[in-house]
Amino acid sequence: MKTTFEEKDGKYIMHFEGRLDTAASVQTEQEMKVLHNCEGHDIILDCAQLEYISSSGLRLFLGLLKVAKAKGSKVCISGMNDNLRQVFAMTGFTHLFEFV
Amino acid sequence: MPQANNKNIGHWTLTLSNDVQEIPQLNTFVDEVCEFHGLDPLTSMELNLALEEAVVNVMSYGYPKGTKGYVDISAQSDSSGLKFVIKDSGKPFDPTTKEEVDTTLPAEQRDIGGLGIFLVRKMMDSIKYEYKDGYNILTLKKKVNQVINQ
Repeated sequence: MKTTFEEKDGKYIMHFEGRLDTAASVQTEQEMKVLHNCEGHDIILDCAQLEYISSSGLRLFLGLLKVAKAKGSKVCISGMNDNLRQVFAMTGFTHLFEFV
Repeated sequence: MPQANNKNIGHWTLTLSNDVQEIPQLNTFVDEVCEFHGLDPLTSMELNLALEEAVVNVMSYGYPKGTKGYVDISAQSDSSGLKFVIKDSGKPFDPTTKEEVDTTLPAEQRDIGGLGIFLVRKMMDSIKYEYKDGYNILTLKKKVNQVINQ
């Protein structure tokens, strides 16, 4: 599992690559902390290269969303594959996030 | 070290210790079973997800913190589909009695926990728990296409 952070046009973007399973979620949680200081920046989670996510990863996304909403920032998900979209749909996460 | 053994045709077993860092071994195991049966990527993902959630549940809560414990996973196939059995000697715990998650709540009201067993239920066709001879035994079944008849 690999993440890359970039700031582009005032937006915070994190690219996810690989499998976000329970084993990877500890490290990914640390890496996502940079997104928590998002005052004045909307966030894009680029999931085009994300192959898999389990509930520990969903928790990280939800945790970030709560922090970002409280600070007035939007969280968008981009490029997510159909299989992962199904997981999001099933857990009711589809209507929590914006998809671009 | 976890190891896959007794890998006869139609029957697979794996033993892991209660350390979530061993989850990638479970993934390899489930992928092997799925590949053997020629399952599509969506079904493979669903099985990976269900197995990970069920096994992580045991790893995280089955044994007192700091003590070593094990989880045995076995997979079997027949003409109706795949059957996975997860067995551990931790404290008796029936995950099938966990409350449903309300997936319609807005973000502010969504709880960060509780999704694991919910996903197991969603991904599998049946889930059965029993406690027998000091073991928690969780049996997960899923009907799949292209299962080879033994």
